[in-house]
Amino acid sequence: MKRVRIGVVGRMIGVLIVLGIAVFPIYWMFTTALTSDADLFAPEPRWFPDFGQFYVFVDALAEGPTLTWLANSTIVAIGTTVFSIGLGIPLAYALSRFSFKGKVAVGLLLLMTQMLPEALMVVPLFSLYRRFELLDSLAGLILANTAFVLPIVALVLKGAIDGIPKELEEAGRVDGARPLAVLLRINVPIILPSIAAAAVIAFFHAWNEYVFAVTFIFNKSLQPASVGLAGFIGEQGTAIQTIMAVAFMFTLPAVAFYLFAQKYVVSGMTAGAVKG
Amino acid sequence: MTTLNARASRRRRSPLGSRWTPYVFLLPAAAYIFVFQAIPLLQEVYLSFTRTNLLNPTRSEWIGFDNYTRVFASSDFQQTLGTTAVYVIACVVGAVGSGLVVALLLNGSFPGRGIARALVTVPWAAPGIATALIATWMLNAQYGIITRALRAIGVDVGESGILDNPDLALPAILLTTIWQLFPFVAVVLLSALQSVPTELVEAAEMDGANRLWVFRVVTWPVIRPTVGLIALLMTIWSLRRFELIWLMTRGGPLGTTRTLVIDLYSQAFDSKQLGAAAAIGMVGVVIAMIVVVGSRLVTRAAEKDTA
Amino acid sequence: MATHTFRRSRLGGIALLAVAGLTLSACSTGGSSDSAEGGEIEPATITFAASTFGDPGLGPRLQELVDEYNASQDIVTIEPAAVPFPTFGQTVLTQMGGGEGPDLVRFDMPEFTSAADAGLLEPLDDKIDADELGLQEGPDQYMFVNDERYGVIFDTSNYVMYYNTDLIPEPPTTFDEFMDVAKATTQGDVYGLAFRQTQAEENGVWQDIFNYVYGFGGEWSDGEELTLNNPKNVEGLEAYQSLYDANVIPKGADAATFRKMFAQNKVGMELNNGGYLVATRGTNPDLNFSVAPIPFPVRAQGAIMAPIVINANSEHKDAAMDFINWVLEAENQTSLQEALGASSVATKTTRSDEQLAETPFLPVYDELTNSSSPQIVVGFGPQTADIRKIVVTQVISALQGQQTMEEALDNAQDEAEQIVG
Repeated sequence: MKRVRIGVVGRMIGVLIVLGIAVFPIYWMFTTALTSDADLFAPEPRWFPDFGQFYVFVDALAEGPTLTWLANSTIVAIGTTVFSIGLGIPLAYALSRFSFKGKVAVGLLLLMTQMLPEALMVVPLFSLYRRFELLDSLAGLILANTAFVLPIVALVLKGAIDGIPKELEEAGRVDGARPLAVLLRINVPIILPSIAAAAVIAFFHAWNEYVFAVTFIFNKSLQPASVGLAGFIGEQGTAIQTIMAVAFMFTLPAVAFYLFAQKYVVSGMTAGAVKG
Repeated sequence: MTTLNARASRRRRSPLGSRWTPYVFLLPAAAYIFVFQAIPLLQEVYLSFTRTNLLNPTRSEWIGFDNYTRVFASSDFQQTLGTTAVYVIACVVGAVGSGLVVALLLNGSFPGRGIARALVTVPWAAPGIATALIATWMLNAQYGIITRALRAIGVDVGESGILDNPDLALPAILLTTIWQLFPFVAVVLLSALQSVPTELVEAAEMDGANRLWVFRVVTWPVIRPTVGLIALLMTIWSLRRFELIWLMTRGGPLGTTRTLVIDLYSQAFDSKQLGAAAAIGMVGVVIAMIVVVGSRLVTRAAEKDTA
Repeated sequence: MATHTFRRSRLGGIALLAVAGLTLSACSTGGSSDSAEGGEIEPATITFAASTFGDPGLGPRLQELVDEYNASQDIVTIEPAAVPFPTFGQTVLTQMGGGEGPDLVRFDMPEFTSAADAGLLEPLDDKIDADELGLQEGPDQYMFVNDERYGVIFDTSNYVMYYNTDLIPEPPTTFDEFMDVAKATTQGDVYGLAFRQTQAEENGVWQDIFNYVYGFGGEWSDGEELTLNNPKNVEGLEAYQSLYDANVIPKGADAATFRKMFAQNKVGMELNNGGYLVATRGTNPDLNFSVAPIPFPVRAQGAIMAPIVINANSEHKDAAMDFINWVLEAENQTSLQEALGASSVATKTTRSDEQLAETPFLPVYDELTNSSSPQIVVGFGPQTADIRKIVVTQVISALQGQQTMEEALDNAQDEAEQIVG
């Protein structure tokens, strides 16, 4: 077999191509937002944003409650992340470290719940929420979204805990620490990168969720951005530029969150090395 | 399997490490999932045997297996199952394959790595609705940048554009889905790659070993369980993906993009038949179960092979 | 009636206001408010869902009207509910079926009939006196389901032919001319006509083909039986298909795109309702366009009829009714009418000289009121959404060349008969 050597230059070229594919649609979103109708429907596309159109962003921020939407989405996304990690760590630990009756069933159930589409669950959950007075509240959305991401968070974390050598924990137990303390003091620091990855998954899921948000929230001031964005699609007219502008502003915070979480993903590299 | 001995020794070491310990860890999440997923799921199982209208969900008429027989008798549903299978398999293969390549690319060291790792997640961070909107716009039959580019290089996408072309709509939705998913695969695999012993890889490379060989022997065994997990999740997620398809084609043209969930949604909310929708949902759950159990068997067989 | 008591009580002034403030929080936490008949209206903040709130042109105008109502008194506050247009019907009906939902809703006819039939709407027989209010009979007759009134027209709007007067100086008056003009106008990146033809816009396709079916003398039912494959329907939809096949429309374009194209002089003609006027002016104030009756053999076309209804689950029905009464007051009907542009309202209002000067072709819309029908299948109102899905799917399959239009409608008839039983 021929030797394959990817030098730094080759790798850079590959990365640039990938980044181009990843980022171009978002660039196009931005450019479309800043293109006048006349240019948008011209025979030739306009490749670069027309900053003379920047008022589209200003108007979208000033007129629509865009900032409120973004704030609501942030609350829901952070709440879901915290909640699902908090519940997911002990669950993952139980699945990874203990063998107990019904373990296989729990694992299967976890994966099965991932199959249930929101569209299927929205009607039974609605009546459940009504009984618990969770409708029309951000807390309700956090709970619903957590239910949907908890299984995957748990599975990702279980994979990480599986990789930790038992001897490390044994050492903790010899010190007389209780299982919970062992989990928190020994396992959690080691699996931080995976926690970060799971957090990113949970955050993005909640950030994007639409079906629950549109059905469970009645109050306009509690609307998250996914619903607000859909609200720009009109019956008689759709302001393509405004939609693209809001969609763009909706995308940025999620990327920013990833940048924040990434620090931990990277710092996890050292934790991984301890184990090796 | 934990032997009695091991269990006993654990109990000795820690007062709380009794046989109840796992359940204590399990309880919060289990209770939570029971309330928010299991109860609604059981309700759906019941609904699938009833005729129930969306507008009157508390009044159900028991009709036995009628919803199931009707669903399976319909030729549209057979098309739906076929479309679902193609969509799911292509999504998994496409997303896992491209995600793995990207993770390997990003795992090395090169200038600007931090920025690259952040930027690559952009498609995944983009809200589903925003993705559907920009994809629809880029594929617009007259002004879409992709349509224009394809026409400029002489590709015939038909008068009515890609999304209205029965041969091209599903591939277009597939590519959009893969675009959306590959960063997720890449991020998770990137974190799995951190567990690959770097010294070993470096040592092997120093010895002049072929990179593909190093990958197969050193890297792959470490990340294989993660790849398996991701593939499983991709399968299940693709079975339930909704917004993207609904906003881009609503299952059309000619039903070529109508997956199980689209069918389900349209039964529940257009036709207002919660019973029929629940029956379709149960078919999906059973498929998911088969996939899950099947993948377990495969994993176990693979483990036996390597052992 | 409620309005009068309410007005009187308002004279009570500040004392009541203070009470209002105190009770507001109490009742918003869900205290039952089957309010005293003939008594005061309980202070409340209620929600109003209308898909038009999201429209870039109409939305702000509708909001102004609501603001005006809120400012006119201190007891009831109306808040627009957060329901986006793309999933409007599904969302509101799910909420209402689940025992919740907005207090007031502006529905389209198919959803209105389904909701009324399922008992989700408050009957308004005792609360609305059509004669005294002077409601326009034509549209008002459709506000009854199972012989009970469940709504009042909020806005109604007939379908006409919009045409770009720069591209088409003389509007066609027959279908043959319509076809010729469409062909002649289609040049370069300009299309003669635009209509919806993709599955992604099922509801829109239904609205569009309605005009072809009725304009060629067809109908979806005779009131008792479905007549989806009536030869006249086939003829009308073959005409629709002949336009599709003539390549005079931007194929694959959705309404959002081709309406922008119309505003940019890239599309010559479009069949649409009065609500489009405001949207088009908002997109391009300089566009030269006019409207004419749809030039099909029979003068019969669709109309958007949008009733405002009270949710039977509402805890503030009297407050909701107060808003409806306020909207129906003569002066407010006029301002609603002006806000809506070319649409009509529940009562007959006169168009001001000012309006007529701005839009000389306004009478064209008004003259079509008697020949317009709501886009439901008469006699099968609650099943319209199902029938719509079947018909649209079959018609699109014919457009795509999978079958003839006649086969499509035969299939639709068979499928639909199974559903309506």
